[in-house]
Amino acid sequence: MNIKSIKKEVVVEAAQQTAFKVFTEKMDMWWPSSHHIGKSPLTGSILEPHVKGRWYTKHEDGSECSVGSVIEWNPYDRVILSWQINGNYQYDPELITEIVVNFIAEGPKTTKVQFEHKNLQRMVGLKSTDDMDMGWGMIMGLYQNYIKSLKN
Amino acid sequence: MSLSEKSFNALGDPTRRIIFEKLRNGGLAVSEIAEGLSVSRPAVSQHIKILKDAKLIRVHKKGSKNICQIDKDGVMAMRFYLDKFWEDALAAFKIAAEETEKSTKL
Repeated sequence: MNIKSIKKEVVVEAAQQTAFKVFTEKMDMWWPSSHHIGKSPLTGSILEPHVKGRWYTKHEDGSECSVGSVIEWNPYDRVILSWQINGNYQYDPELITEIVVNFIAEGPKTTKVQFEHKNLQRMVGLKSTDDMDMGWGMIMGLYQNYIKSLKN
Repeated sequence: MSLSEKSFNALGDPTRRIIFEKLRNGGLAVSEIAEGLSVSRPAVSQHIKILKDAKLIRVHKKGSKNICQIDKDGVMAMRFYLDKFWEDALAAFKIAAEETEKSTKL
């Protein structure tokens, strides 16, 4: 397991277009409602369908919370979003982690969805490439030791 | 609060992120951590305590000095938390996409 990114793959019994649309236009249908940074209950997750479009959540009290924005908009193949929630569950314009989602048609009603949440090291404040290599290299080492300790 | 939440909260503070980063190349004494920081020593100690509670750092005595170093447990908890979050979200997405596919074809 790579600690700098989270990779997931899911095969969906749906057309590529459906998969893309549900992921981007119908986040309400699947976004875990328990996970949000607003002060009142979640009423919706919205992604504006274009490059630089906002990604935000709406709440019962009428407030909105930014999550990130659209970096790449390429229907129905690929979407790249920024996730700018920091360690304190606050929107942080300085922090950019990327979510890359590829929708690969494997059949008329089968789509492979490749998901990656990248550059997670930035969440713990390791920003430059040097920091990343040095700091994260060390944490990776700790992680490997941790996995070894589980096996023993 | 779960450990991952504690870890996220702990690193939400800029001073604590600086402290955490300072330790990336190895352990440091509290006095070395405090060097160059614009906050008071008691404040540094308080930040260290919060990082320690979140298991992001561990502290041990070496002679008369308290040495701090990065603790893997808190870092791992954060990583696992996000991993679990996306696992759940994508499982829900799969169901939503398949339901939508079925309903549009009916």
